[in-house]
Amino acid sequence: MVNRFFAFLRRDLRAAVSLAFLLALCVLALCAPLIAPYPVTAQDVDNTLAAPSAAHLLGTDDLGRDVFSRMVHGGAATLYASSLAVGIGLLLGLPVGLLAGYSGGWLDDGISRFIDALLSFPSIVLAIAVTGALGIGLTNGMIAVGIVFSPQIARLVRARALVVRQELYVDAARCFGASTARILWRHVLPNTVQPVIVQVTLLLAAALLAEASLSFLGLGIQPPQPSWGSMLARAYQNMELAPEQMYAPGLAILLTALAFNTLGESLRVALDPTTKR
Amino acid sequence: MAASHRLRVIRRRLLQAVPVLVLATFVVFGLLKLMPGDIAITLAGENATEQRIAEIRALYGLDRPFLVQYGSWLANAVQGDLSKSLATGEKVATSIARAFPNTLLIVVLAMSVALAIGVPLGMLAASRPDGARDRIVTSVASLGIAVPNFWLAMLLVAWLALGTGWFPATGAKPLAEGLGPALHHAILPALALAAGGVAEVSRQLRSSLVEILSSPPVRTLRAKGLSPAAILWKHGLKNAGVNLLTVTTLLFNRLLAATVVVEAVFAIPGMGNLIVNAALTRDLPVVQGVVFVMVLVVITINLTADLLYTVLDPRIK
Amino acid sequence: MSDATDLHDAPLPAVGLSRRHLMALAGAMGLPGLASAQGTPAKGGVLKVSASANPSSLDPATGGAGSDHTFLWTMFDTLVEWDYETLKAKPGMAAFNFPDPRTLVLDIKPGITFHDGTPMDAAAVKFNLDRGRTDQRSNIKADLQNVAEVVVTGPLQATIKLARPDTALPAILSDRAGMMVSPKAVQALGQEHDRKPVGAGPWKFVSWSANEKVVVTRADKYWRADRGFVDGIEFSIIPELATGLRAVVAGQNDFAYNVPPRLMPLIDKAKNLTKVTGPTLYCLQLYFNTAKKGLDNLKVRQAINFALDRPGFVKASLAGVGEPAYMQLPKTHWAYDPTLVGLYPHNIEKAKALLAEAGYKDGIELTVGSYTDQDSVRRSEIVGEQLRKAGIRLKFITGTIPEISGQMFGNEKKFDMLLSAWTGRPDPSMTYSLMYSKDAYFNAGRTDHGAKMAELLAESRVAERIEGRKLIFWQLQRLIMEQALVAPLAFQYELVAAGQQVKGYKPNLLGKPKYEFISKA
Repeated sequence: MVNRFFAFLRRDLRAAVSLAFLLALCVLALCAPLIAPYPVTAQDVDNTLAAPSAAHLLGTDDLGRDVFSRMVHGGAATLYASSLAVGIGLLLGLPVGLLAGYSGGWLDDGISRFIDALLSFPSIVLAIAVTGALGIGLTNGMIAVGIVFSPQIARLVRARALVVRQELYVDAARCFGASTARILWRHVLPNTVQPVIVQVTLLLAAALLAEASLSFLGLGIQPPQPSWGSMLARAYQNMELAPEQMYAPGLAILLTALAFNTLGESLRVALDPTTKR
Repeated sequence: MAASHRLRVIRRRLLQAVPVLVLATFVVFGLLKLMPGDIAITLAGENATEQRIAEIRALYGLDRPFLVQYGSWLANAVQGDLSKSLATGEKVATSIARAFPNTLLIVVLAMSVALAIGVPLGMLAASRPDGARDRIVTSVASLGIAVPNFWLAMLLVAWLALGTGWFPATGAKPLAEGLGPALHHAILPALALAAGGVAEVSRQLRSSLVEILSSPPVRTLRAKGLSPAAILWKHGLKNAGVNLLTVTTLLFNRLLAATVVVEAVFAIPGMGNLIVNAALTRDLPVVQGVVFVMVLVVITINLTADLLYTVLDPRIK
Repeated sequence: MSDATDLHDAPLPAVGLSRRHLMALAGAMGLPGLASAQGTPAKGGVLKVSASANPSSLDPATGGAGSDHTFLWTMFDTLVEWDYETLKAKPGMAAFNFPDPRTLVLDIKPGITFHDGTPMDAAAVKFNLDRGRTDQRSNIKADLQNVAEVVVTGPLQATIKLARPDTALPAILSDRAGMMVSPKAVQALGQEHDRKPVGAGPWKFVSWSANEKVVVTRADKYWRADRGFVDGIEFSIIPELATGLRAVVAGQNDFAYNVPPRLMPLIDKAKNLTKVTGPTLYCLQLYFNTAKKGLDNLKVRQAINFALDRPGFVKASLAGVGEPAYMQLPKTHWAYDPTLVGLYPHNIEKAKALLAEAGYKDGIELTVGSYTDQDSVRRSEIVGEQLRKAGIRLKFITGTIPEISGQMFGNEKKFDMLLSAWTGRPDPSMTYSLMYSKDAYFNAGRTDHGAKMAELLAESRVAERIEGRKLIFWQLQRLIMEQALVAPLAFQYELVAAGQQVKGYKPNLLGKPKYEFISKA
């Protein structure tokens, strides 16, 4: 397995670079308190919107806080946010999709209607409603995003489960008296892993963008903690005074989303040999 | 007969649409009711007293049981009465009628740009798979999907509006005042939205074209000496039409949802703005009304797409 | 009645100049745009305004937001008006006097008509005041609670009989309760009048697209020739303040108010704009829930007041366009008490000592509600950092205005404090009773602040002469600040950005722009 993985990396340069980038980001995020030169809340009102310098690698924001430190801590928050959203999406979507695809009949119909309903109206409203019910904050916002993602995962898993259900070995297992749960766990689930892995990397990118959007609207992370999205929102406020404030967080989001997407695409190609490149 | 078959499809889809509509609006209503705070406090205003707030709740029926409130809204909605905004008193239908064209203009413009640029790019990439051009297009496409659209919007405002004054930085002009000004205001937001669209379209088209072009029937055509260009045009695109339609439909739905943040950056009074403000102020009738309309729009788009499928590819039922 | 002393020549610490000097200097520095022309300005032009909020209703009796007034004043004249700089009451559509403490007589000026042609007379006044007191949709019942009966004692004279003396009533009649609407229109339109108002102001209503635009145009017959020079006003509703300013910089609009002070460099940079600033009653403050553990202790509340660096806050949050708030009235107000300024100087050591005395020697954690807009977020970050230095650790919970204010003042009582603002009222007694009476909505803890408070609140409505009232307010403010029932931070000055073609704008102390003197060259 490990050998195959490294072979895959060697073949696909872009995937390797993306993975390296993401790993570096994780390290940065985990070591944030060690790497960031200033605390994220240290204000210096006499030195606002300063240009990059030796003391402040990326300059200061409109309250004189060090942008580099806020970017590093913000990265940690953002990565946490993405993982949480996708985790919740999996937690909710996997079992629902499995159940729907495997059971068929009216249960499948009912669940599919519900999924259609959730998919057909604007996700931002769902996010607002959920954060409204639970309270505004990064965790709650990402739970909302996870709930928004779950129909997509459920749909994907359901489609695979539908196919697997027809397979002979599943029939055989049923004949032998295996319970539904056991069949789902041992036979159906493993066969959905590949497309789900691909979807997960793509959703990590989407969650990143969703966190940024929510924080931009003021519904994500609570101040004074930084996240890349909330830093962009602040930069928007100061657009005429200091337009350069929007480059760092925007580029960070772009590059990270790009890395996730590239990795996902490469995985999709590698894991499914029938896909024509 | 194809026509009666289509009618059956329409009828079945419409029937399926009803539970979706009810479920969607019910879920939203339920969630909004779960949220703390209600609009009575805002309505009572600066000189609020407990008594006045309670009075307002009674006045607007906000203290009735949950199902009664939902039921009465639904009963009105199916008769075409989307009720009035609690915050402004304006009829919800009027607010939507004013906001929807602004959003639609941007979405349609964004989709046109996405198709106008995405289709040629996809064809370019597919003409020589794995070549230099293909790699460039694929990279550009990846970039387009990864870029946060409101950041792109901010960049466009900073470069093309604030600095140079070529385009307006804010607002929208209704079509009634003329196509020119309306487009002038809609271009930057549409461009911000289109980036992801260009990427999606070009990527999907490329992969489906590549699949078609390497299929046996097409290979035979090549062997017979038909030029690659002619093949691309005549056979590639027509067969890729189905895939393109799927992408376009998905794109439309996605753009409709994505306009929310872009509308915030450009201060455009569209559907996104309408629903976000209403949700934040707990103006339930407006949220319900917008959700209702948006679900209807999505269902209509999907239905139209399904019908178009049957035209494009007789094999599909 | 003898006037208040020359408080409006007291120096402003933020700028070091008296207000009179400031306006003169504005002229000398080459900001000529807003000086009035000699004689009556020419009529003409449509003023395009970037408005910061959608009106809650265009009917004065049924709306509730402090941001509505700037729309309402274009269409509704008030019975009583005030002096722009000090807010002292003076006759508007009516002259007023108290023959005895329980009677207020209004002598209405002749020749005033509503926009629908009906006369503005005593019968109309009675209709309006009765409506304000009794209509189920009226939000101003509390303002008129002391009115027992309104009697028409002449075609142009209405007599108000009071259940209790209320010398705040003239000031109250300069606000919503005094905005007269046409009885005929209300009777014909009912609830629709919210959206199709008919008043007697310089401009009449044309249209209102919710959250987009409000349009008014010159009234056919306005009773004063020296007000209302522009032909019409178009309000574009742009809640995002930086965007509203951008529209003025780009020339799409002529006038933006409520501009956040940190954007002032932008106005300076744009060469075709003029700016106007002036003090207002808009007081940024920390509301306390004095029933919660921690804040129920006087020393803790005092510690918070000592830990705040008010001049620092003005500098960081308001870019100097404001003044520190040592009580809930600004310097130029007629009831301002200069002796309270030194009560809570910035003193971190004293704050820590008080906390230790209260039993919190390792500091204290308090929850604070705040709003999600960027300016509120910024303020919360500044205040949080200031208080952290004294060991007061703030946990901010943000949300939307209805949510957070509801959770602070409603039944949930979720937070210890609320970081928000008090928009100010025409009469100080309104502010104090709305915040400190035992059952007042904005008294989050519903705390009984004692007999002395109740007594002073009642007296402030009874004392007649302005000198007497001033002394009572001095006592009230001293009581409030010595008990540290609130932590006022700063008064945000009004900041207006206008195109150079806009002339004659005068800011007022209430901070809600009036356009009656503006002309557009």
